Amino acid sequence: MSTTVGQKTGIARLLELAGEKKTLLILSSLLSTISVIALLGPYFSVYLVLLELLRNATGVAPLDGEAMIRWATAGLVSLLAGYAFMYAGGMCSHVAAFRILYGIRVRLADHIGRLPLGFFDKNSSGKIKKIAELDVEKIELFIAHQLPDLVNAAAMLLVMIAAMFLLDVWLTLAAIIPILIGFAAQYAMMVGKEAKKATVAYFDALEEIGSSSVQYVRGMPSVKVFGQTVFSFRRFHGDMLRYRDFCLRFTDNLQNGYVTFKVLLVSLASFILPVGLFLLSRNPENIAFAAVLMLFLVFAPGVSVPLIKLIMLAGHLTMITEGVKRIDAMLTQPPLRETENGKPPRGFDIRFDRVSFSYDAEGGGPEVLRDVSFTAGQNTITALVGPSGSGKTTIAQLLPRFWDIQSGAVSIGGADVRDIPTETLMNTVSFVFQDAFLFSDSIYNNILVGKPSATKEDVYAAAGAAQCREFIEGLPDGYDTLIGEGGVYLSGGEEQRVCVARAILKNAPVLVLDEATAYADPENEYLMQQALSILLKGKTVIIIAHRLSTIREADKIIVLQNGAIAETGDHARLLEAGGLYAKMWNAHQSASDWKIRKEAAQ
Amino acid sequence: MTGKLYNISAGKPKSLIRPIVGALVADICNLFPGGFMALVISVLYGQYVSPGEAHDWKTLWILCGLMLLSLAALFVGERFAFRATHRRAYENSAVGRAALAEHLRKLPLGFLAGKDPGEIGNALMSDFTQLENAVSHVLGQLVSGVITPVLTFVCFLFIDWRMAVAMFVALPCSLLFLWLISSLERRMGKAYLKSRTDMTNRFGEYINGMEVIKSHHLQGANFGRLERAIHLYMKNSIKVEGAMGPFYLIAIAGVKSGLTWMTIAGVYLIVGGSLTVPVFALFLLVGTRVFDPVSAALMRWAEFKYIALSGERIMGIMDQPVMAGDGDAPEAHDIAFDKVSFGYGARPVLKDVSLSLRTGGLTAIVGPSGSGKSTVLRLIARFYDPQGGRVLFGGVDEREIDPEKLLKNISMVFQDVYLFQDTIGNNIRYGKQEATREEIEEAAKAACCHEFIAALPKGYDTMVGEGGSTLSGGEKQRVSIARAILKDAPVILLDEATASLDPENEADVQRAIGALIRGRTVVMVAHRLKTVVYADRIIVLDKGRIAEQGTHGELLAAGGLYARLWDLQQRAGGWTLGV
Repeated sequence: MSTTVGQKTGIARLLELAGEKKTLLILSSLLSTISVIALLGPYFSVYLVLLELLRNATGVAPLDGEAMIRWATAGLVSLLAGYAFMYAGGMCSHVAAFRILYGIRVRLADHIGRLPLGFFDKNSSGKIKKIAELDVEKIELFIAHQLPDLVNAAAMLLVMIAAMFLLDVWLTLAAIIPILIGFAAQYAMMVGKEAKKATVAYFDALEEIGSSSVQYVRGMPSVKVFGQTVFSFRRFHGDMLRYRDFCLRFTDNLQNGYVTFKVLLVSLASFILPVGLFLLSRNPENIAFAAVLMLFLVFAPGVSVPLIKLIMLAGHLTMITEGVKRIDAMLTQPPLRETENGKPPRGFDIRFDRVSFSYDAEGGGPEVLRDVSFTAGQNTITALVGPSGSGKTTIAQLLPRFWDIQSGAVSIGGADVRDIPTETLMNTVSFVFQDAFLFSDSIYNNILVGKPSATKEDVYAAAGAAQCREFIEGLPDGYDTLIGEGGVYLSGGEEQRVCVARAILKNAPVLVLDEATAYADPENEYLMQQALSILLKGKTVIIIAHRLSTIREADKIIVLQNGAIAETGDHARLLEAGGLYAKMWNAHQSASDWKIRKEAAQ
Repeated sequence: MTGKLYNISAGKPKSLIRPIVGALVADICNLFPGGFMALVISVLYGQYVSPGEAHDWKTLWILCGLMLLSLAALFVGERFAFRATHRRAYENSAVGRAALAEHLRKLPLGFLAGKDPGEIGNALMSDFTQLENAVSHVLGQLVSGVITPVLTFVCFLFIDWRMAVAMFVALPCSLLFLWLISSLERRMGKAYLKSRTDMTNRFGEYINGMEVIKSHHLQGANFGRLERAIHLYMKNSIKVEGAMGPFYLIAIAGVKSGLTWMTIAGVYLIVGGSLTVPVFALFLLVGTRVFDPVSAALMRWAEFKYIALSGERIMGIMDQPVMAGDGDAPEAHDIAFDKVSFGYGARPVLKDVSLSLRTGGLTAIVGPSGSGKSTVLRLIARFYDPQGGRVLFGGVDEREIDPEKLLKNISMVFQDVYLFQDTIGNNIRYGKQEATREEIEEAAKAACCHEFIAALPKGYDTMVGEGGSTLSGGEKQRVSIARAILKDAPVILLDEATASLDPENEADVQRAIGALIRGRTVVMVAHRLKTVVYADRIIVLDKGRIAEQGTHGELLAAGGLYARLWDLQQRAGGWTLGV
């Protein structure tokens, strides 16, 4: 994977991609060139037979039946050899192509794994998947088919045209002029600026359908409850119609050029014949010329096949290069910089030092954190509270470097997170997110993600501590039950407990709990808190909580408002201060006293 | 073959008539230039055979002129075919996509829950792109692969049947050969497609789980699941290519060998004196080009079959039975469960549950997580049909009611809100399509979200990210409540609507819910028992069965599960470092 993503675009970029498997592709081009030449064998044998017939017809020589059968058989052998070579060449190019595709996909996966999370907010998952799947797949066409075709078609055309010119200039011109006209008609339609623009639009339209169909499927409960049909689900239906209209327009624009090209190319012999007839009529007894005419007529279809392949290439090429452009756009997204001389953290105190951050600094987006400084000490619990949108989750996400900040420093144990090697950093920090995410895999493996080297006993113990044991044992295959596609679906609370088990198993020195028990029912929450409290000992713990009662015992409570720290202190001190926290506490008290009753709202 | 055509047309084989006719017309037009040319050569050879007479240039030139004229006909025919195939391809897929999306909506949600959204997304997107390609590019070539040899064969039978037979003798053998290997091919194709879907799903998982993946340092090469899926797909791609390639090439070589057999037959016949030179020349010339459409069609045949699998996948969804019922929803809004049993796949969730909910009442469903609380709501809204027993709405079995009409009576606020990538205003408008701007703002005000929306740079026209990603949990929740208020349905289902909110938001959302439930039949699922003490009735679920039911007071007095849960919740929980 030495190829870097440079500035090259179009064919140059495709060749660069293909260059990764140069030897295979050169071999493939060679084999396929031999193949196309061998495939002309049958035509040549027909020519020889026709020549023999001509000589006999004019009474120059008696018919040589044996020779004609020999030629016919030789033509068959040549045909078989041609296909054998075609297979060998095709295999070389396909193996090369699929390996290159594999490489690109792995590189894409690796690269998007290094991007800041913002990338995923700006690009829908449907779009990213489309690029990784379909756009990459299109490259196969170029590498496996078009590249060898390009080489063999060019080689064959050169040989044939040279041979034709040597045989007869006029007949050659009769064949070449329609070819040139056909290409001109086609080129204007397929390669011009308009075509490029249309291709971009085509891709955009396809991506739009991709992302709106994913939304339609994911939002299906809402679609149902609000009585949406696909026709009223404006975006989706609109995207489908736009795509159709676009394609129809594209088709209309293309038709004359394409049809002209096709008709001219498949009818090369029809242009050669009148010229030949004219030349022959001036000297009907010239048998040598009659033979040359036969040769031209027999070989004409042999010329048009590779030519048609060539023009198809041009049409597809715009599509392929547009896809590659989208792949490259993803690959050139600047990743989070990996440190060169890693600094391991000494100790696990967390420090935010005058941190300012915006999700969209270049676009002049608003600052989400402004000049935030605080320390969260080892063996203490630090709670982040504040109204939604105040920046609590952002702070948590800065610790594992999901984003890089614009100014200030975030450090763990005295080392700036940007200087800690990613692996060390991730082993240091453990997370339980608000939105539980499980892989489509067994429950066991989902917990094991926390620490791949763990023993069975460790996994069971972690599951037990996270209050998962009971529900897991109730599943059809216990710990081996598959979750998601083709398996069972867990409730929100169950999913979250599996995530907690994962974090317990990981047992990292820094633990961030972002609303870790939001979906848990109260009794499970209570038990989980009990279990975690043992785990929390000696760790640096950061808790984001909505229900203030759960963080009353925290050593330090940081109250955020609009991205800045409003107050800091413990529960008692903050209440006494009578500021934002005290206000929130009161709101919380009344909210948790909230009793839904229908009269209450009246 | 008919099955494939059915699948390729996404269930509307009639839509293929036009493209097929188009291709036919073009193919017939295509026979003329070649035919005239062969005639010219044949006449020319004939004139060389009888050297005594002078050349009849007039006949030759007339034939030649006809040949050139037929090129114009060919242009017209090809243009007709191009339009018929390409336009129909895109028209079909737009109709097909819409039909599939409509169908999906009418299926029980269980169908979607059992599938990866990527798989469905693929069916809607790339599978239809494949069908487009089938109609626009492949179908025409298949038609000419059949038509050209058949017409040629029939014409040539009249000229010299022995030569015509020799020409096409190998063709049936090749077809038989392909037919014999088709089951192997199908098996490989399935494995290939499966690995492709698998790769897409793994990519989806990788993207959607990025936070978790990063925090466990699983990105890139460390996420072996994805790498393995990509690798397996590569292996299967090479395997299909490598294993199927030779079979097709052998079949094509077989077809093209017809030229050789015909030549050999011709030589024997001409030496034997029963074939004339001009006729032999005619056959030879036509023989150099008649096999090209056949071999092109054979090449395309593999592709066509592969595309037919895409069509099969689409039809697999289209053939899923939609939820039954076409009756109107009754006037009454009381809800009852009659011995309802239900499970997601192999996991039973509700067992023999019977209950009845009064119109206008507020019913709370509580119980440990996994006890089936949310499932009760989903059954009421008929996202699923129960496996045993009946769910009654206004006294009518819900299976007899048109699900759409039923849902007109129900509003639902979910625990995890999914907003669409659209403006906030339009997201609220989903509650009532024809709502005016005023009505939307009114609903937003009632749901306590007008203020934050108005503070956004573009107000109600602000775009929301996919799934609502640009709003906070509480904000999304309030937008979804505004939507429900606007819908103004008599029955409200609340699923843990305040579970994950911060206190400030929680109070707002609580106010919003207060506005929403006024004067309606409400069923709510709640974790925090405190919130439901005033419910008209509390149903306590445990492991899929009703453990007890009654008012808060009655249940406390009974001293059962509810009383125990209540006791547990009264103990203030909090995070502490263990000592």
